[in-house]
Amino acid sequence: MADDDAGKLVGAAAGGDKEAWRTLVQRFSGLVWSITRAYHLSRADAADVSQTTWLRLAEHIGTIDNPDRVGAWLATAARRECLQNIRANARAVPTDDMTRLDHPTREDNPTEDEVLRAESEREQGLRAKALWQAVARLPLRCRQLLTILIASPPPSYAEVAAALDLPVGSIGPTRARCLQRLRQELAGCI
Amino acid sequence: MSDAPDDSALEQELRLAAARLDPVPPEVVAAAVDAFSWRDADAELAELVFDSLLDADQATLVRGSAGRRLVSFKTPGLTVDVEVTSAGPGRDIMGQISPPQRASVHIRHGAGIARTDADELGRFAAAALQAGPMSLRVSAAGGGTPAAVITDWLAI
Repeated sequence: MADDDAGKLVGAAAGGDKEAWRTLVQRFSGLVWSITRAYHLSRADAADVSQTTWLRLAEHIGTIDNPDRVGAWLATAARRECLQNIRANARAVPTDDMTRLDHPTREDNPTEDEVLRAESEREQGLRAKALWQAVARLPLRCRQLLTILIASPPPSYAEVAAALDLPVGSIGPTRARCLQRLRQELAGCI
Repeated sequence: MSDAPDDSALEQELRLAAARLDPVPPEVVAAAVDAFSWRDADAELAELVFDSLLDADQATLVRGSAGRRLVSFKTPGLTVDVEVTSAGPGRDIMGQISPPQRASVHIRHGAGIARTDADELGRFAAAALQAGPMSLRVSAAGGGTPAAVITDWLAI
Protein backbone atom coordinates (compact mmCIF):
# COMPACT_ATOMS: atom_id res chain seq x y z
CA MET A 1 0.00 0.00 0.00
CA ALA A 2 1.33 3.41 -0.92
CA ASP A 3 2.10 5.66 2.01
CA ASP A 4 -0.38 8.29 1.01
CA ASP A 5 -3.09 5.66 0.79
CA ALA A 6 -2.34 4.76 4.40
CA GLY A 7 -2.52 8.46 5.27
CA LYS A 8 -5.94 8.77 3.66
CA LEU A 9 -7.21 5.72 5.51
CA VAL A 10 -6.00 7.18 8.79
CA GLY A 11 -7.82 10.42 8.07
CA ALA A 12 -11.01 8.62 7.17
CA ALA A 13 -10.85 6.36 10.23
CA ALA A 14 -10.22 9.37 12.47
CA GLY A 15 -13.47 10.75 11.09
CA GLY A 16 -15.30 7.59 12.10
CA ASP A 17 -15.08 5.53 8.89
CA LYS A 18 -15.16 1.91 10.03
CA GLU A 19 -14.36 0.52 6.59
CA ALA A 20 -11.18 2.58 6.47
CA TRP A 21 -10.24 1.09 9.83
CA ARG A 22 -10.95 -2.40 8.58
CA THR A 23 -8.63 -1.80 5.62
CA LEU A 24 -5.89 -0.62 7.97
CA VAL A 25 -6.32 -3.83 9.97
CA GLN A 26 -6.07 -5.92 6.82
CA ARG A 27 -2.91 -4.10 5.80
CA PHE A 28 -1.10 -4.10 9.12
CA SER A 29 -2.37 -6.90 11.37
CA GLY A 30 0.17 -9.26 9.78
CA LEU A 31 2.98 -6.87 10.66
CA VAL A 32 1.83 -6.48 14.28
CA TRP A 33 1.50 -10.25 14.65
CA SER A 34 4.94 -10.88 13.16
CA ILE A 35 6.46 -8.47 15.68
CA THR A 36 4.93 -10.36 18.61
CA ARG A 37 6.38 -13.58 17.20
CA ALA A 38 9.79 -11.99 16.61
CA TYR A 39 9.86 -11.16 20.32
CA HIS A 40 8.97 -14.76 21.14
CA LEU A 41 5.67 -14.07 22.79
CA SER A 42 3.32 -16.96 23.35
CA ARG A 43 0.18 -16.96 21.25
CA ALA A 44 -1.90 -15.75 24.21
CA ASP A 45 0.47 -12.88 24.96
CA ALA A 46 0.73 -12.09 21.26
CA ALA A 47 -3.05 -11.76 21.10
CA ASP A 48 -3.02 -9.39 24.09
CA VAL A 49 -0.23 -7.28 22.60
CA SER A 50 -2.01 -7.10 19.27
CA GLN A 51 -5.26 -6.01 20.90
CA THR A 52 -3.58 -3.38 23.08
CA THR A 53 -1.68 -2.01 20.08
CA TRP A 54 -4.81 -1.62 17.96
CA LEU A 55 -6.77 -0.10 20.85
CA ARG A 56 -4.00 2.46 21.23
CA LEU A 57 -4.14 3.28 17.54
CA ALA A 58 -7.91 3.73 17.76
CA GLU A 59 -7.42 6.31 20.52
CA HIS A 60 -4.49 8.10 18.86
CA ILE A 61 -5.66 7.95 15.28
CA GLY A 62 -6.79 11.57 15.24
CA THR A 63 -3.46 12.89 16.48
CA ILE A 64 -0.74 10.88 14.74
CA ASP A 65 2.05 13.19 13.56
CA ASN A 66 2.61 11.48 10.23
CA PRO A 67 -0.53 9.62 9.15
CA ASP A 68 1.36 8.33 6.08
CA ARG A 69 3.67 6.46 8.43
CA VAL A 70 1.00 4.72 10.46
CA GLY A 71 2.71 1.40 9.70
CA ALA A 72 5.83 2.54 11.50
CA TRP A 73 3.65 3.93 14.32
CA LEU A 74 2.03 0.53 14.74
CA ALA A 75 5.38 -1.23 14.57
CA THR A 76 6.82 1.01 17.30
CA ALA A 77 3.72 0.60 19.46
CA ALA A 78 3.81 -3.18 19.03
CA ARG A 79 7.50 -3.32 19.91
CA ARG A 80 6.90 -1.35 23.11
CA GLU A 81 3.95 -3.51 24.09
CA CYS A 82 6.07 -6.63 23.51
CA LEU A 83 8.80 -5.30 25.78
CA GLN A 84 6.26 -4.38 28.47
CA ASN A 85 4.72 -7.83 28.18
CA ILE A 86 8.09 -9.50 28.53
CA ARG A 87 8.91 -7.43 31.61
CA ALA A 88 5.52 -8.09 33.16
CA ASN A 89 5.81 -11.79 32.67
CA ALA A 90 9.57 -12.15 33.24
CA ARG A 91 9.18 -15.53 31.76
CA ALA A 92 11.40 -17.03 29.11
CA VAL A 93 9.64 -18.49 26.12
CA PRO A 94 11.42 -21.52 24.74
CA THR A 95 12.90 -21.10 21.29
CA ASP A 96 10.85 -24.08 20.25
CA ASP A 97 7.78 -21.89 20.33
CA MET A 98 8.92 -20.38 17.07
CA THR A 99 9.22 -23.77 15.47
CA ARG A 100 5.88 -25.05 16.63
CA LEU A 101 4.22 -26.20 13.52
CA ASP A 102 0.76 -26.52 15.00
CA HIS A 103 -1.56 -24.32 13.14
CA PRO A 104 -5.33 -24.12 13.16
CA THR A 105 -6.72 -27.29 11.65
CA ARG A 106 -9.98 -27.34 9.84
CA GLU A 107 -12.74 -28.91 11.83
CA ASP A 108 -14.48 -30.61 8.95
CA ASN A 109 -13.40 -33.98 7.62
CA PRO A 110 -11.16 -33.99 4.56
CA THR A 111 -13.06 -34.00 1.31
CA GLU A 112 -12.06 -36.10 -1.63
CA ASP A 113 -10.71 -32.96 -3.25
CA GLU A 114 -8.41 -32.35 -0.32
CA VAL A 115 -7.18 -35.91 -0.35
CA LEU A 116 -6.30 -35.56 -4.01
CA ARG A 117 -4.36 -32.39 -3.31
CA ALA A 118 -2.59 -33.97 -0.37
CA GLU A 119 0.52 -35.06 -2.23
CA SER A 120 1.59 -31.66 -3.55
CA GLU A 121 0.45 -30.05 -0.30
CA ARG A 122 2.71 -32.39 1.58
CA GLU A 123 5.71 -31.41 -0.52
CA GLN A 124 4.99 -27.72 -0.08
CA GLY A 125 4.43 -28.37 3.58
CA LEU A 126 7.76 -30.11 3.97
CA ARG A 127 9.57 -27.26 2.27
CA ALA A 128 7.75 -24.71 4.42
CA LYS A 129 8.67 -26.61 7.56
CA ALA A 130 12.33 -26.84 6.50
CA LEU A 131 12.42 -23.08 5.90
CA TRP A 132 10.68 -22.34 9.15
CA GLN A 133 13.03 -24.52 11.18
CA ALA A 134 16.08 -23.07 9.44
CA VAL A 135 14.97 -19.55 10.39
CA ALA A 136 14.61 -20.70 14.00
CA ARG A 137 18.25 -21.78 14.01
CA LEU A 138 19.57 -18.39 12.91
CA PRO A 139 21.15 -15.96 15.36
CA LEU A 140 18.64 -13.79 17.22
CA ARG A 141 18.98 -10.64 15.14
CA CYS A 142 18.49 -12.48 11.85
CA ARG A 143 15.61 -14.49 13.26
CA GLN A 144 13.85 -11.35 14.43
CA LEU A 145 14.47 -9.41 11.25
CA LEU A 146 13.34 -12.19 8.94
CA THR A 147 10.28 -12.95 11.05
CA ILE A 148 9.08 -9.38 10.67
CA LEU A 149 10.21 -8.99 7.07
CA ILE A 150 8.14 -11.97 5.94
CA ALA A 151 4.86 -10.66 7.34
CA SER A 152 1.94 -10.49 4.93
CA PRO A 153 1.53 -8.09 3.26
CA PRO A 154 5.25 -7.21 3.08
CA PRO A 155 6.24 -4.38 5.41
CA SER A 156 8.39 -1.46 4.33
CA TYR A 157 11.96 -1.19 5.59
CA ALA A 158 10.83 1.78 7.70
CA GLU A 159 8.28 -0.44 9.40
CA VAL A 160 10.83 -3.22 9.99
CA ALA A 161 13.25 -0.63 11.38
CA ALA A 162 10.60 0.71 13.77
CA ALA A 163 9.77 -2.80 14.91
CA LEU A 164 13.39 -3.51 15.85
CA ASP A 165 14.51 -0.01 16.80
CA LEU A 166 17.23 -0.12 14.13
CA PRO A 167 18.31 2.53 11.61
CA VAL A 168 16.31 2.11 8.43
CA GLY A 169 19.51 2.18 6.35
CA SER A 170 20.71 -0.99 8.06
CA ILE A 171 17.71 -3.08 7.08
CA GLY A 172 18.67 -3.72 3.44
CA PRO A 173 22.22 -4.89 4.14
CA THR A 174 21.14 -6.91 7.19
CA ARG A 175 18.41 -8.59 5.16
CA ALA A 176 20.93 -9.62 2.50
CA ARG A 177 23.30 -10.96 5.13
CA CYS A 178 20.58 -12.88 6.92
CA LEU A 179 19.20 -14.44 3.77
CA GLN A 180 22.72 -15.59 2.94
CA ARG A 181 22.99 -17.07 6.45
CA LEU A 182 19.71 -18.80 5.87
CA ARG A 183 20.96 -20.33 2.63
CA GLN A 184 23.99 -21.65 4.47
CA GLU A 185 21.73 -23.06 7.16
CA LEU A 186 19.56 -24.76 4.56
CA ALA A 187 22.57 -26.10 2.67
CA GLY A 188 23.92 -27.57 5.89
CA CYS A 189 20.75 -29.61 6.24
CA ILE A 190 21.24 -31.66 3.17
CA MET B 1 20.37 -0.66 -4.09
CA SER B 2 20.88 -4.03 -5.71
CA ASP B 3 18.66 -6.89 -4.78
CA ALA B 4 19.75 -10.31 -5.90
CA PRO B 5 16.75 -11.99 -7.56
CA ASP B 6 17.51 -15.02 -5.40
CA ASP B 7 16.97 -12.90 -2.30
CA SER B 8 13.53 -11.81 -3.42
CA ALA B 9 12.56 -15.35 -4.30
CA LEU B 10 13.78 -16.74 -0.98
CA GLU B 11 12.07 -13.97 0.93
CA GLN B 12 8.79 -14.69 -0.83
CA GLU B 13 9.14 -18.42 -0.13
CA LEU B 14 9.61 -17.60 3.54
CA ARG B 15 6.60 -15.32 3.46
CA LEU B 16 4.43 -18.09 2.06
CA ALA B 17 5.78 -20.51 4.68
CA ALA B 18 4.94 -18.05 7.45
CA ALA B 19 1.46 -17.47 6.05
CA ARG B 20 0.97 -21.18 6.05
CA LEU B 21 2.47 -22.07 9.42
CA ASP B 22 1.81 -19.00 11.53
CA PRO B 23 -1.02 -16.94 10.09
CA VAL B 24 -2.67 -14.24 12.13
CA PRO B 25 -5.47 -16.02 14.01
CA PRO B 26 -8.91 -14.84 12.84
CA GLU B 27 -9.91 -13.92 16.39
CA VAL B 28 -6.88 -11.62 16.64
CA VAL B 29 -7.92 -9.87 13.43
CA ALA B 30 -11.49 -9.61 14.71
CA ALA B 31 -10.30 -8.07 17.98
CA ALA B 32 -8.27 -5.54 16.00
CA VAL B 33 -11.35 -4.57 13.97
CA ASP B 34 -13.40 -4.34 17.18
CA ALA B 35 -10.84 -2.00 18.74
CA PHE B 36 -12.32 0.80 16.65
CA SER B 37 -15.56 0.70 18.60
CA TRP B 38 -13.67 1.68 21.76
CA ARG B 39 -12.56 4.96 20.24
CA ASP B 40 -13.68 7.92 22.31
CA ALA B 41 -13.01 10.94 20.13
CA ASP B 42 -14.55 13.46 22.53
CA ALA B 43 -12.50 12.73 25.60
CA GLU B 44 -9.08 14.20 26.30
CA LEU B 45 -6.35 11.56 26.20
CA ALA B 46 -4.14 11.17 29.28
CA GLU B 47 -0.78 9.72 28.30
CA LEU B 48 1.18 7.27 30.41
CA VAL B 49 3.95 9.28 32.08
CA PHE B 50 5.18 6.74 34.63
CA ASP B 51 5.20 2.96 34.82
CA SER B 52 7.01 1.22 37.67
CA LEU B 53 7.40 -1.77 35.37
CA LEU B 54 9.85 0.24 33.29
CA ASP B 55 11.63 1.91 36.17
CA ALA B 56 14.75 -0.07 37.09
CA ASP B 57 14.68 1.05 40.72
CA GLN B 58 11.20 -0.32 41.14
CA ALA B 59 11.96 -3.59 39.45
CA THR B 60 12.48 -5.50 42.67
CA LEU B 61 9.12 -4.32 44.03
CA VAL B 62 7.36 -5.34 40.87
CA ARG B 63 8.71 -8.85 40.90
CA GLY B 64 7.68 -9.41 44.53
CA SER B 65 4.86 -11.81 45.23
CA ALA B 66 2.46 -8.89 45.73
CA GLY B 67 2.84 -8.08 42.03
CA ARG B 68 2.31 -4.35 42.59
CA ARG B 69 2.58 -1.98 39.69
CA LEU B 70 2.25 1.80 39.83
CA VAL B 71 1.27 3.77 36.75
CA SER B 72 0.51 7.41 36.21
CA PHE B 73 -1.46 9.16 33.42
CA LYS B 74 -1.45 12.89 32.84
CA THR B 75 -3.21 15.66 31.00
CA PRO B 76 -2.38 19.32 31.64
CA GLY B 77 -5.33 19.53 34.01
CA LEU B 78 -5.57 16.11 35.56
CA THR B 79 -3.41 13.24 36.81
CA VAL B 80 -4.64 9.71 37.40
CA ASP B 81 -2.42 7.42 39.47
CA VAL B 82 -3.28 3.76 39.55
CA GLU B 83 -1.88 0.91 41.59
CA VAL B 84 -2.45 -2.46 39.95
CA THR B 85 -2.16 -5.68 41.92
CA SER B 86 -2.42 -9.20 40.60
CA ALA B 87 -5.08 -11.26 42.30
CA GLY B 88 -4.81 -14.67 40.73
CA PRO B 89 -5.80 -14.42 37.08
CA GLY B 90 -7.47 -11.07 37.70
CA ARG B 91 -6.35 -7.57 38.59
CA ASP B 92 -7.34 -5.19 41.39
CA ILE B 93 -6.84 -1.47 40.98
CA MET B 94 -6.71 1.47 43.38
CA GLY B 95 -6.74 4.92 41.85
CA GLN B 96 -6.18 8.52 42.78
CA ILE B 97 -7.28 11.53 40.77
CA SER B 98 -5.37 14.80 41.17
CA PRO B 99 -6.40 17.48 41.84
CA PRO B 100 -8.68 15.54 44.21
CA GLN B 101 -12.32 15.61 43.09
CA ARG B 102 -15.41 13.51 42.79
CA ALA B 103 -15.70 11.78 39.46
CA SER B 104 -17.39 8.99 37.62
CA VAL B 105 -14.90 6.34 36.52
CA HIS B 106 -15.55 3.89 33.70
CA ILE B 107 -13.02 1.08 33.58
CA ARG B 108 -12.86 -0.07 29.97
CA HIS B 109 -11.32 -3.52 29.76
CA GLY B 110 -11.45 -6.83 27.90
CA ALA B 111 -14.69 -8.10 29.38
CA GLY B 112 -16.57 -4.82 29.02
CA ILE B 113 -16.95 -1.67 31.11
CA ALA B 114 -17.03 -1.55 34.91
CA ARG B 115 -18.31 1.57 36.62
CA THR B 116 -17.22 3.08 39.89
CA ASP B 117 -16.97 6.49 41.52
CA ALA B 118 -14.12 8.53 42.92
CA ASP B 119 -14.82 10.09 46.32
CA GLU B 120 -14.20 13.73 47.29
CA LEU B 121 -10.51 12.87 47.72
CA GLY B 122 -10.38 11.51 44.19
CA ARG B 123 -9.97 7.90 45.33
CA PHE B 124 -11.50 4.91 43.58
CA ALA B 125 -11.03 1.15 43.43
CA ALA B 126 -12.12 -1.90 41.49
CA ALA B 127 -11.42 -5.58 41.90
CA ALA B 128 -11.27 -8.76 39.87
CA LEU B 129 -10.75 -7.07 36.52
CA GLN B 130 -9.75 -9.26 33.63
CA ALA B 131 -6.05 -9.09 32.81
CA GLY B 132 -5.45 -7.41 29.47
CA PRO B 133 -5.84 -3.93 27.97
CA MET B 134 -7.40 -1.33 30.27
CA SER B 135 -8.34 2.31 29.88
CA LEU B 136 -10.11 4.54 32.39
CA ARG B 137 -12.66 7.18 31.44
CA VAL B 138 -12.88 9.83 34.13
CA SER B 139 -15.72 12.37 34.13
CA ALA B 140 -15.47 15.03 36.81
CA ALA B 141 -18.71 15.26 38.77
CA GLY B 142 -18.65 19.04 38.68
CA GLY B 143 -18.88 18.98 34.90
CA GLY B 144 -15.68 20.97 34.57
CA THR B 145 -13.26 21.13 31.68
CA PRO B 146 -12.50 18.75 30.15
CA ALA B 147 -15.77 16.90 30.20
CA ALA B 148 -13.98 13.57 30.22
CA VAL B 149 -10.46 12.23 30.29
CA ILE B 150 -9.45 8.79 29.05
CA THR B 151 -6.19 7.11 29.96
CA ASP B 152 -4.04 5.57 27.28
CA TRP B 153 -4.65 1.84 26.86
CA LEU B 154 -2.36 -0.21 29.03
CA ALA B 155 -2.05 -3.97 29.36
CA ILE B 156 -2.50 -4.89 33.02
